[in-house]
Amino acid sequence: METPFVLEMRGITKRFPGVLALDDVSLKLRPGKVHALMGENGAGKSTLMKCLFGIHHPDHGEVVFKGGPRRFDNPRQALDAGLSMIHQELANVPERTVKSNIWLGREPTLGPAGLRRLDHRRMSRDTAALMRRLGLDIDPETRLGGLSISQQQACEIAKAVALDASVVVMDEPTSSITDKEAEQLFRIIREITARGVAVVYISHKMHEIFRIADEISVMRDGRMIATHDAAVLDEDKLIRLMVGRASSQRFPPLESLPGEVRMRVTGLTSPQAHSFRKVSLELRRGEILGIGGLIGARRTEFVEALFGLRPVASGQVEIDGQRIKPGSSQRAIAHRMGLVTEDRRHSGIFPQLSITMNTAMPSLGRYVNRLGALLHGKVRAEASRLNQQLRTKTSSMETAIGTLSGGNQQKVLIARWLMTDPDILILDEPTRGIDVGAKFEIYAIMAALAAQGKSIIMVSSEMPELIAMSHRVMVLCEGRHTGTVSRAEATQSEIMRLATQYL
Amino acid sequence: MSTPMRDQVNPANSGNSSGPSLSNLRAYVSGRTNVLTFLVLAALLAGLTKGASLSIDSLTNLALAESVRALASLGVGIIIITRGIDLSVGAVVCLVGSVAGSFAQNADYGAALYPGVEFGWWAPIAAGLLTGVAFGLVNGLLVAAARIPPFIATLGTMSVAYGCQLIYTRANVVGSLKDSYKEIAQGAVLGVPNLALFALAAAAVVWYMLGHTRQGANIYAIGGNPTAARVSGINVKKEIVLVYTFAGFLYGMAGLLLASRLGLANALTGRGMELDAIAAVTIGGVSQSGGIGTVGGMLIGVLTLGIINYGMTFLGIDSYFQLVIKGLIIIVAVYFDMKKYARGE
Repeated sequence: METPFVLEMRGITKRFPGVLALDDVSLKLRPGKVHALMGENGAGKSTLMKCLFGIHHPDHGEVVFKGGPRRFDNPRQALDAGLSMIHQELANVPERTVKSNIWLGREPTLGPAGLRRLDHRRMSRDTAALMRRLGLDIDPETRLGGLSISQQQACEIAKAVALDASVVVMDEPTSSITDKEAEQLFRIIREITARGVAVVYISHKMHEIFRIADEISVMRDGRMIATHDAAVLDEDKLIRLMVGRASSQRFPPLESLPGEVRMRVTGLTSPQAHSFRKVSLELRRGEILGIGGLIGARRTEFVEALFGLRPVASGQVEIDGQRIKPGSSQRAIAHRMGLVTEDRRHSGIFPQLSITMNTAMPSLGRYVNRLGALLHGKVRAEASRLNQQLRTKTSSMETAIGTLSGGNQQKVLIARWLMTDPDILILDEPTRGIDVGAKFEIYAIMAALAAQGKSIIMVSSEMPELIAMSHRVMVLCEGRHTGTVSRAEATQSEIMRLATQYL
Repeated sequence: MSTPMRDQVNPANSGNSSGPSLSNLRAYVSGRTNVLTFLVLAALLAGLTKGASLSIDSLTNLALAESVRALASLGVGIIIITRGIDLSVGAVVCLVGSVAGSFAQNADYGAALYPGVEFGWWAPIAAGLLTGVAFGLVNGLLVAAARIPPFIATLGTMSVAYGCQLIYTRANVVGSLKDSYKEIAQGAVLGVPNLALFALAAAAVVWYMLGHTRQGANIYAIGGNPTAARVSGINVKKEIVLVYTFAGFLYGMAGLLLASRLGLANALTGRGMELDAIAAVTIGGVSQSGGIGTVGGMLIGVLTLGIINYGMTFLGIDSYFQLVIKGLIIIVAVYFDMKKYARGE
């Protein structure tokens, strides 16, 4: 059966515990065309690609590749069949030469069986020819790690070409390269599409999409919303497709009224070149301030710097009129701040320790007697009270936190900071990886804390959550503050416009 | 010994498919494998020696032989809980023995390091403990401040300490130690050897610290998740320096007691003790991946290894083979530890 498509994904459905990540998603790729895959963070783009490459296995649906149904169990099989993925974080061996990386795992050899040695001459010759074909000025003998990010990326693409890939997936390829380097990338993309390669291009950057894409597919909440020719869309239409209608009923009412200013941040700037720059904000009593932006907008870096976990080059932070010296989480805690980090496993939980100890860790200083002994009874009582209040589901307070579900772990982490009785609580992606029921409970906790006069900063990539659960939303783009919108003016398209301002 | 951290020993993944009673039993057993191993070995040894190993004499011998190792193991144990390691134990114990000994030689002994000088009773103790603390502090600073991987940092200080010992003693034996100094380790209170009392006292202090103080909670937190510890306001660098320094103090005790017990110190005193200490705490359930371990476990590990050593000697196994067997024991213990607590990817 002859089709105009090199690859079709049909009716892909993938369910994770508590979430339907992909719901009957189909995607068709034409040879020699660039197909942009768009959608908010969490819409399911990466999951779809992981299903294609065998990193996830879909519950339903099939992949038809070059006319026949195929199933890949791992990325290696997909690569052998001619599907290549250029990752956000490049997967290569920076200490080795360009040539070695391109031939990694399938080096040509010389000599009789048992005495085979690498055919360095052929590797060099073929690599040089490949670079010429793609119009790249890269010496095969240089160390890969010595090249710029964009050159390394070009090498990855060259590798895909060397493997004779017929589909190349690029996940946010321009997120860490300059505009000029992006031009180079587009040239290479045109070069390979001219050879009949189909490219899946995942990016948030509107202007790029319209420059490079032939077709655009939009995903939202795990569903494929639409596929159109790029020519019939414009930025407004695309944003409307991406964000959809506002959903209600998923959020408790946010009724507290913000009071006087509690924290003032002026011109906070990171010592690193591509991080946050000159970010200012005011945070009031009883206020939830949302921070929106795309992945890579440096929101996490910014709030971690506020909390003293990252260095600050300039700018200042004042709480109740008092200047806080940056650079120490102990100081931030002493000034009654708390931070629930974005990555629970990496920087939140102590997996082997009990719920009690996980809750009490930052507060232990208040629970020692004059001889330095911990008052275990009081610690347990208070930790237990807070977890009951937040309705953490567990059989015992002595259970290791690592065995709880994501939602319950998150509640323990919120309880951890409630135990310190903070004035300012920073929540970085508070509902990531949590099922819908637990999400609602966490929103309710946030609303209740605001009603008690606590101030909350919430970093979120989920638009509906940002809009429903914030009194104001400030938006960062490429580390810069592009605007703050009040609850009344906050719409998904306005936030998206601010979030892509410099892209 | 019930500390709040004990529950961490029960891995929740033990047999969730089987019935509740069976999985409870399995959790119970896997949480106490070290105790059971110890009992089985002890019984086996008692059987093989037809009860001879259960005599007061041989038990006293075991306690004496293992007390010094227990001190060293407690130090290495708390370091491993913080995800660290210390290879310098044996060398520091060796150096401390010679330094302490040099301040406790009879003044009329011609080959003394300070001939004719009469030091106070406190001099060898102070010198020994200071040496241990100094090396611990340097190890801690190398690991926490200079961010050198603990394995390499302590490999370096190990060589430095062995070298210092040879330079300081000019490769001579530090002999003719005063009776008052020898009495520290060789004496007894109500029939219990001083050495065992010191080890028990140190164990009690470490037990109290780990289970009942904020420092202890911080140590488990750092070992369990250093990033989360930092977010929780724990001064991770300071705590790590303190842990290595405290371990150095314990090595100081071990070194000066060992010299006191042997009545002399030389380049072989304490040599290789890092192997015994790391093996003992690993057998005792201190996890190489950090955040897990109890004093009870460490002590049982020390005794288990002691019984294995004692048993091998009793059975006439060549000491060269004993080395091989000890190495294999470490590897097997770590293998099971990794299987149990493997950080899932």
